Amino acid sequence: MKLFDIAFKEILRSLRNAFFLFFGLGVPLLATVIFYFAFGGAGSGDGFELPVTQVQVVNLDQGGSAYGGFSAGQILVDFLRSEEMADLVQVTEAADPAAARAAVDRQEAGVAVIIPAGLTEVAFGPGKEATIELYQDPTLTLGPSIVKAIVSQFVDGFAGSKIALEVATEQLAAYNVPVDDDLRQQIALAYGQWAQELGASQQGGSNALFQLRAPAGEEAGNEGLLQMVALIMAGMMVFYAFYTAVASSMTILQEHEAGTLARLFTTPTSQGAILGGKFLASGVTVALQVAVLLTFSHLVFGIDWGEPAAIALVALGTVVVATGLGILLNSLLKNTRQAGIVYGGVLTVMGIGGMVGVFSGQMPGSGSGVDLASLVTPQGWAVRGYGLLLQGMGPLEVLPTTAVLLGLGVVFFVVGVWRFNRRFA
Amino acid sequence: MRILDLTFKDLRQLVLDWKAGVFLVAMPVIFTLMFGYVFGGIGAPEDLRLPVGFLDRDGGSVLSKGLYDLLEGSAAIRPVALDEDVDLEDLDRQVRDEDLAAVVIVPEGYSERLLAGELVPLEGVLLEDSAAGQTAQGELQAAVNRLVGAVQAAQLSAEMYEQEAGFAGDAARQSYFDAALDRALTAWEDPPLRVVEGSVGAEEEKTVETVGNAFAHSSPSMIIQFAIAGIMGAGEILVLERKSRVLQRLLTTAMSRWQIILGHFLAMLVMILAQVVLLVVFAQVALQVNYFQAPLGVLALGVALALFIASLGLLIGTLARTNEHVIIFTLILMFVLSGLGGAWMPLEFTSTAFQTVGHLMPTAWAIDGLENIVVRGLGNSSALAPAGILLAWAVVIFALAVWRFRTE
Amino acid sequence: MEKAIEVRDLHKRFGDTHAVQGVTFDVRQGEIFSLLGPNGAGKTTTISILSCLLQPNDGDAFVLGHSVVREPMAVKAAIGVVPQELALYEDLSARENLDFWGKMYGLRGPALRQRVDEVLALIGLVDRQKGAVRKFSGGMKRRLNIGIALLNRPQILILDEPTVGIDPQSRRSILDSVKDFNRQGTTVLYTTHYMEEAQELSAHIAIMDQGKLIALGTHEELVHIVGELDRLQLAVNVPAEAVLEPWQATEGVHKVSAADGVVTLLVDDSNQVLPKLFEAATRAKARITSVDIQEPNLEAVFLHLTGRALRD
Repeated sequence: MKLFDIAFKEILRSLRNAFFLFFGLGVPLLATVIFYFAFGGAGSGDGFELPVTQVQVVNLDQGGSAYGGFSAGQILVDFLRSEEMADLVQVTEAADPAAARAAVDRQEAGVAVIIPAGLTEVAFGPGKEATIELYQDPTLTLGPSIVKAIVSQFVDGFAGSKIALEVATEQLAAYNVPVDDDLRQQIALAYGQWAQELGASQQGGSNALFQLRAPAGEEAGNEGLLQMVALIMAGMMVFYAFYTAVASSMTILQEHEAGTLARLFTTPTSQGAILGGKFLASGVTVALQVAVLLTFSHLVFGIDWGEPAAIALVALGTVVVATGLGILLNSLLKNTRQAGIVYGGVLTVMGIGGMVGVFSGQMPGSGSGVDLASLVTPQGWAVRGYGLLLQGMGPLEVLPTTAVLLGLGVVFFVVGVWRFNRRFA
Repeated sequence: MRILDLTFKDLRQLVLDWKAGVFLVAMPVIFTLMFGYVFGGIGAPEDLRLPVGFLDRDGGSVLSKGLYDLLEGSAAIRPVALDEDVDLEDLDRQVRDEDLAAVVIVPEGYSERLLAGELVPLEGVLLEDSAAGQTAQGELQAAVNRLVGAVQAAQLSAEMYEQEAGFAGDAARQSYFDAALDRALTAWEDPPLRVVEGSVGAEEEKTVETVGNAFAHSSPSMIIQFAIAGIMGAGEILVLERKSRVLQRLLTTAMSRWQIILGHFLAMLVMILAQVVLLVVFAQVALQVNYFQAPLGVLALGVALALFIASLGLLIGTLARTNEHVIIFTLILMFVLSGLGGAWMPLEFTSTAFQTVGHLMPTAWAIDGLENIVVRGLGNSSALAPAGILLAWAVVIFALAVWRFRTE
Repeated sequence: MEKAIEVRDLHKRFGDTHAVQGVTFDVRQGEIFSLLGPNGAGKTTTISILSCLLQPNDGDAFVLGHSVVREPMAVKAAIGVVPQELALYEDLSARENLDFWGKMYGLRGPALRQRVDEVLALIGLVDRQKGAVRKFSGGMKRRLNIGIALLNRPQILILDEPTVGIDPQSRRSILDSVKDFNRQGTTVLYTTHYMEEAQELSAHIAIMDQGKLIALGTHEELVHIVGELDRLQLAVNVPAEAVLEPWQATEGVHKVSAADGVVTLLVDDSNQVLPKLFEAATRAKARITSVDIQEPNLEAVFLHLTGRALRD
């Protein structure tokens, strides 16, 4: 009974402690909200919102009267400025290549597209080759790759026509068939028509040349970006569960320094009840935190954590291992002044180590080098458990991971309790 | 002189506190290495192109070989030939776990049907929501478009010959077609119109390229994040001074409030500057992140950053009542400034709104300033604007801290 | 009269430090017993052993017949301990503190509630029972600190230097409260380094120094150790060391010690000895600037037994 009185008193004090509430609930929610905000509201189901890339364009290709005033470069510019591209790129025309590059250097644009003079000549005439230069900000990846894909596809259209013309011309010449302008025009028109039909067959979500599918198992649980947010949420939850466990076990040291622990020992209350009450409070507090964060993330972000039984197992494992480690770490400290090294040093390094797979965008349990490295820490095992939940695994599949968590937690607990008992004997 | 006495006292307390060394040096080093490794800094393969599994069920036909060769020529992906009896479930897992950016499967009869004029789809397995998947998709689409373009070129050539001269028989036609197809596929290896990429700094300040070094991205972020975390120790000194009534005692001496605040501020400044210098040197020497290519720029940014963060530390010290408050305030600042400022993930990957808010953060400017030098390869002058922004912030925060200190 | 506490040849070592060396004494039921001694004498260590916080290396102590070594729970159930430093949960209210501690003493339900009400009244905190203790004044916290020890109606109340560092008014209040508790039948074991407290409160006093019990008895018995010797405190205008030797050699002087510029002497008859002290001072080129004559007291006893002042 006294054990529960002590546990209740600890929990009451924790709930009144701003520092505790901050670490236990405030920080993981804050961090997750930042990520959620970063990706524009993952729960909308619309998927990732591609960034609009600022593009500086220099068109040195004037076409010319030989081509009826037609300019391949201008077609590209017009295409980039078109409404269908407006969600992806925003185009500004620069005076010259130097100005365009300078704009990228100044970070006013992510990419500069420099269209050379003579592009039209190469595309439609006797010109041999032309190169469109993409000058990009090296700190960006997504935007420039999108621009490159767009420009490459455009360029390939002209290149294909040119190649078709050259192949036909060379082949016919090799077989001594004369090639005049009429024939060239026929070839160009025929290729152009084919290319148009091909392009049409790749519009509106269909693609006659390429059928895509997601890898099996990807459909379980949450859609793409929400899955990523869920993984980050899981990482945060595990990260801060361990902080909470250490903080709540640290009350043993705090009471020792405040004199109330000694006072407790002067009452007819056994050492087992005193320490047991504190450990119970630690476990309950962590369990409360995990439950609140799981519920919050489900209700607010719409994260689907999977089967309740599986969730309960993983949550239990997390609570036991975090509480056990908290007790062990505190048993190694001399006083609360060393708290900083535990929070800032040990827990942070272990926590980040456990989340390293999350940061690299890999689903825990993948077996990759990064994933296996994270299993050096108990946090890594806990994150693995949540990763399995997010992949739709059921109670049987999460049981081995839960067993590891429970085993580790018990070992930490036993050693920590032994040390505390020796200290306060 | 008394100001410096106070500064040295603070620095001595910090140096004697070995935990400070962990926060200030050990942890940023560990995190820089960790994030750099995660994003490809150490042990990265020589060929940095995304691996795409290539499963040929068409028995090495002319078009499956042609497709493979076209993929080999890609700058962004590289084909990885798979055995015909490979486990498809395992392939799916490899894509899910991003061991492969994608898998492309050439179906049986692909070449024959395509050459007969039928549009035959390849099967692709990839994650459309991942950056790697999107890159792979783009490259695969481009390659298959080129492939069918080559087929069409050969078809057209044959049609023109038929029209102009006429084939002797099917064998002659086939021979002509094969030669034309071969020409077309060869032409695509070096197309007449192509796109090339460049990404180094302006010509007049062209310096060493460090684009491929993942630590060039993680190092600036971690320097900034842990410079903020480092003010925890300094903030605790101020709080302890107040709680133990040493501050009140100081105020009974000939030291003015100004001198006291300046003394503490200088200690924080020296500590953070020392940390930044240490981490820059570490990154330069151990990780080949070329900060030294623009030393004055790095120095300007380092000083401006230290002034800004020292001001933050001072403000925290004047606001916090307990050690726990110091920890809370420091960590909130670290999360908000680092998270929103792009230290955790490049702002490029975030929503437009987030990017806008992010660039209000002085940390975003600091990261930009350092990346101007180590990633974009720009020179000293590229540091001026970011350093200016940081200095402006430093002035505002310092003024707030002074006002707070003088009124408490 | 029955014994409430029996201490038998208690020893406690911390590494090389022999903090308690063979301490033996008895506390009778219903009396106030003081342990008097300077800081570091071993008083708190002795108290800690009796409170079952520490285990002795040798010897034993019996509280109401229960061994502190073999029956600690029985001992704890019978005692209430007021530690020297405040031991309170400052983020809880006074009532919540008493509630919790009452449970630790085994009280439950209506009995607990009633006792908490009684203690709140006893310590004068009924009106402040719901506020957080962190907002209490120092005096209020001290009262709560004592109140907790009364929850289980202890037969023996142990107070460890409860008046250190507090204002005279609060000190007076504590001393009066101790007498009240005792009048109600509680045996009190009181440690202090203030002679006047031991003198005022206690039936029996034990003097400790450097881990040993050096004297035990009533106030009159202890004072008798120094006989009819007078205690003089003289201030001089030179470093005290300059006069120590000449004064030690003066006829009628038994003990001389100096601390904080004041020289303390035990002499036969101050009227006879003082003129000689003045002469000796003049010869040593010193001037006596103040003279304080005291009747024999516990300070004198301590000085006589140890050669040092109680507050050295």
